[in-house]
Amino acid sequence: MWSYLLKRILLSVLIVFLAILALFITLHSIPGDPISIALGPRATPEIQAEYAARMHLDKPLYHQFVIFIGNVLKGDLGNDLFSNRSVLLILSEQLPYTIVLAVTAIGWSALIGIPLGCLSAVKPNSLLDKITGIVSVGTIAIPSFLVSIWAILIFSVGLKWLPVIGAGEPGDFGDQIYHLILPAFAVGLGWVGYLARMVRASMLEVMSENYIRSANAFGLKSRTIIFKYALKVAILPTITLIGVGFGALLSGTVFAEIIFSRPGIGKIIYNMVLARNFPVIQGAVLITIGMYVIVTLIADLAVSWLDPRVRDTL
Amino acid sequence: MTKLLDVKNLNVDFRTPLGRVHALRDINFSITKGKIVGIVGESGSGKSTIIWTITQLLAKNAIVKSGVANFNGMDLLKADNDTIRGIRGEKISMVFQDPMTSQSPVLTYAQQMNDIMYRKNELSSQEKREKAIAMMRRVGIPDPESRIDQYPHQFSGGMRQRAGIAMSMLVEPSLLIADEPTTALDVTMEAQIIHLIRELQKETDTTIMVVSHNLGLIAELCDEVIIMYAGEILETGKIEEIYSNPSHPYTQALLACDPARESKKTRTLSVIPGDIPDSHIKPKGCVFASRCELAVQHCRTEKPENYRISRSNHLAKCHLLDPKKPLPKPQSNFKKIPKTKISSERFSHKDKEKLLKVNNIRVQFPIMTKLKAKLKGINDPYVDAVFNASLSLERGETLGLVGESGSGKTTLGRAILGLVRTKSGSAEYNGRDLCQLNSREFKPLRRNMAMMFQDPVGSLSPRQTVRSLMVEPFKIHGIEKNYDEEAKRLCETVRLPENFLSRYPHELSGGQARRVGVARALALNPEFIIADEPTAGLDVSVQGEILNLMNDLQDEHGIAYLVISHNLPVVRHISDKLAIMYLGRLIETGDSANIFEKPAHPYTEALVNGIPQPDPKKRRKLLSIEGEIPSLTSRPLGCEFHPRCKYVQKKCKFDPPSIKTLSDGREVLCHFPLQT
Repeated sequence: MWSYLLKRILLSVLIVFLAILALFITLHSIPGDPISIALGPRATPEIQAEYAARMHLDKPLYHQFVIFIGNVLKGDLGNDLFSNRSVLLILSEQLPYTIVLAVTAIGWSALIGIPLGCLSAVKPNSLLDKITGIVSVGTIAIPSFLVSIWAILIFSVGLKWLPVIGAGEPGDFGDQIYHLILPAFAVGLGWVGYLARMVRASMLEVMSENYIRSANAFGLKSRTIIFKYALKVAILPTITLIGVGFGALLSGTVFAEIIFSRPGIGKIIYNMVLARNFPVIQGAVLITIGMYVIVTLIADLAVSWLDPRVRDTL
Repeated sequence: MTKLLDVKNLNVDFRTPLGRVHALRDINFSITKGKIVGIVGESGSGKSTIIWTITQLLAKNAIVKSGVANFNGMDLLKADNDTIRGIRGEKISMVFQDPMTSQSPVLTYAQQMNDIMYRKNELSSQEKREKAIAMMRRVGIPDPESRIDQYPHQFSGGMRQRAGIAMSMLVEPSLLIADEPTTALDVTMEAQIIHLIRELQKETDTTIMVVSHNLGLIAELCDEVIIMYAGEILETGKIEEIYSNPSHPYTQALLACDPARESKKTRTLSVIPGDIPDSHIKPKGCVFASRCELAVQHCRTEKPENYRISRSNHLAKCHLLDPKKPLPKPQSNFKKIPKTKISSERFSHKDKEKLLKVNNIRVQFPIMTKLKAKLKGINDPYVDAVFNASLSLERGETLGLVGESGSGKTTLGRAILGLVRTKSGSAEYNGRDLCQLNSREFKPLRRNMAMMFQDPVGSLSPRQTVRSLMVEPFKIHGIEKNYDEEAKRLCETVRLPENFLSRYPHELSGGQARRVGVARALALNPEFIIADEPTAGLDVSVQGEILNLMNDLQDEHGIAYLVISHNLPVVRHISDKLAIMYLGRLIETGDSANIFEKPAHPYTEALVNGIPQPDPKKRRKLLSIEGEIPSLTSRPLGCEFHPRCKYVQKKCKFDPPSIKTLSDGREVLCHFPLQT
C-alpha cells in the first residue's frame, strides 16, 4: 500500500512539474515582449532595463525557469500586473467559490445520475430506461451556457424564484446557498446524463456476472442484489469519472461564473486573459493543474481501496 | 420413495436472431427424496437449462412452452416472483461451476453468508456468524474464525469451492443443485470435493442433483443418472444399471469414449463421429439417429418411446429396444474400433535420435515490484516457477507433462519455446541451446516447432477466415507457396471439410476450432509440437478425435509432442513418457506405462488414484490425497511434498530428497520411493 502511495505521489509531482514546464515554454513562445506589455509602448529603455533586471528577464531562459520553480515552491506566484497584489492571495479568494460550485454540481448530479443509471440497467428497455436514455443524451448535448440562460429566463425572470447574479452576501450562509442553486443546476445537468449512462453501462455488465446469478439463486432481495452486490462493483469506474469530472469543472465552470457573475477561478482566468495579466493566468492555471492532479489521485486511491482485489495487490 | 421433484413434459425454447432454438424437448424425470441424481450430457445437451428452468433463472430470451415441475406439491414453473424467491436459497440451494466468478468479489464470506441467512430472523447476527463459522469448519476450511472475514480472491480454488458448498448448505435446503461442481478444479481437489458432498449428503439426508459432463464424477457420486443429448433425455436409471448395462447407443458410445475407462494404454480412442444436431430444427425421429451407427430407416422418421429395460426404473428411448419389433439388441461396436498400430512397433524403425534435451531449467517470476521489495527490505523478491527441470525428448515421441494448476508445467513449456526468460539451465534442440537465442535467431527455428494453445476458439483471431488462419504461418515466415493448395492440403490432413475454409472461428464448434489449431501447428511440417491442454474445453466424444488425429499425424510425419495437461487419462493415452511436476519441480519422470502401473512417487500415486473411475463399483472409500498445493512463496522445508504425503517419515521433513534412478530407468525425487 505505502509503496503504491509513494509511487503515485511521485508521479503526481512529476506531472505537475511537466505541466509547469509546458506552461513556461508556451508563455515564452507567445509572440510579444512581456516588458513592453507590462510597461506600455512609451517606456524608456532605462525603465525597461531596470524592469527586466528586477523580473530576471535579462537572464537566460533556463535560469528564469529555475527561479520560477523556486518561487512556485515558496508559494510565490508573483504579483498582479495592475494592482500589484499577490497572485496567491487573489486566487485563494476566488478558489473557494469554484470549489463549492463544482462540488455542489457534481454532488447533485451524482445523487440523481447514479440511481437513474442503476434503475435503467435493472430494467433495460423499460419506459424508464428509454426516458433516461433520451434525457441523458439531451443533457449531455445541451451546452451548459445555454442551460444557464434558460434557467435564468425560467426561474429568475419568469418565476422570480431565484436570484440572477452574484454569489450572495459574504457571511450569510443561506443567501449564498440561495445564489448557488441555479449555477449548480446549470453546471451539473450535463453530468447527470454522463453519470447515468456510465452507471447504466457498467451495471448492465455487472448484472450479467455469475455472482449476481448466484445471489438470485440464493433468493436474496432485489434491493440487496442491486445495491450491495452489483452497484458496489459497478460504481468503481464511475468514481474515476467523477474524479476527472471534478477536475475538469475546476476550470470548466467559466461559463456559469460569467453568466451568473460569480467570482471564481474560471471567471478570473477569463478576465485576466482579456487584460493580458500573465502572472495571474499563470498562477490560476498552476492551481487548477495542482487541484486536478490531487483530485484524480484521490479518486484512483479510492477505487483501489474499494476493490479488495486491487487493494491486496498494492 | 417419495418424489421430491417431478418434472413432466417440459419444453423450453430460446429466441435467437437465427430463429428459435428448441433447447429442451419433452423432458420427464423425477428425483426421489434423499438420493443423489446426476444429469449427464455434453455441451448443448440442455442439462444446465433444466436447472435454470426449475429455478426460474433462465435468460430473458427463453420461453417455457409447456411443463410442470412439481416440488413438494407446488409447481415451480407457475410460482410467482416472491414465491420462487422464497424457495431459492431456502428449499433449493445451489453450488456453482466456477467459484471464482460466482461469489461476489467485493464482499467477505461473512457478509455473503449473512446475506444468505437473511430470512432467519430468529437468529441474532452473532448467532448467524457462529453458524457460518461452524459450516465453514464442517466443509474443511482451516481456521474459519478468521478466514470468514476474507474475500473470495484470498482463497485457493479448492477452498473457494468448499466455501461455495458451505454457503449452499447454510440454509439446510431440501434440494441441493450442483452445477459442474468440480470442473474448475484439479484432480486431487475434485476427489476431495466429491468426498465432501457425499459425506454431507449422508449427514443431512439432503437430496442432491448433480449436473456434469464428467462420467467419472457421476459414477463416484450419484445413485441415479439421467443421460441427456441435444435437449432430450435418452436414458434414465440406477447408476449401477446404466454403467453396467448401458442400453441406449448414445450412452454406450459416451461411456466408451471416456479415456479413464480404459486402464491399458490404447493408441486409438473411441469417438462418436459427427456433430450434435442443429437444435433450430425439431428432429422427426430419434435425436441421436444422425450419429448412431445402429440407426435404421425407422429411427430417422419416427420418435422412439421410452422402453423399460429392467424391473426397476431403467428406461431408454431407442427403437431398437422395442419388444414388439424384434431387432437385434443394440450391442454397439463403438469399442471395437480397429487398432491400427501397436505401440511397440511404432518406434522400432526410429533411430532414437535426441530432439530436445532440457537441462536444469530454472524460471523465476517477480512477486512484487522492485520498489516495494526495497521498502520491505526484501533482497530477493522472486519465486521459482520452475526449479531445475530436466527432460529429454526423442524424435517421434510423446512426452506428457502433468501437474496440477500452479505446478509450473505451462511455464516450462513456454520457457522451452523461448517465450519466458530462463534464469539458468539450457534447452538443447538439435544441438543448439534455445535459452541463449535472441528472438531474431529463434525465428527460423520456430519453423520446426509449433504450439497448440489451450483455448481452441480464443487462440484464433475472430476476424480471420479459416483459410487465412491456416496459411498465416507461411506468411509469417515469408514462404511463397500456392496458398489455396496449402489450405486444402491442411484441411485434408486435419479432416476438415474444404467448405470450412471461408468460415470464421465463431462459426466453428470446439472440436472444429481445435482442428484449425492443429492445422496451423502443422502448416510448416514441424518436427516438434508443444500442445498445451489439447483437449481442454472439448466434449468427451470429440476429444478422442483430436487425440487420434494427433496420433495419426505422429505416425505419418514422425512429430514429437510435448503434451502439457492436468488430465491424466488423456495423457496416459498418448504419451510414451511422462513427467510429473509439483511446485515447479519434476518429481517423477519415465516410461508412461510403468508410471501408471506402479507409481513410485507418493504424489504420482495420489494423482493416479485420484482419477474418478467411470464405474460405480470402483468408488473410493478413502481420499488419496489431503490438503492443497502450498504457495510458491512458502515452500515447505525438506521434501516439498511432505505435508501432504501419507508415507511421510522424519527424514522427509528436514532433508530435501535427491533424484533416484529406479531399475526401469525412471527418475524419482523421493527419499522412499514406492518402487525400486
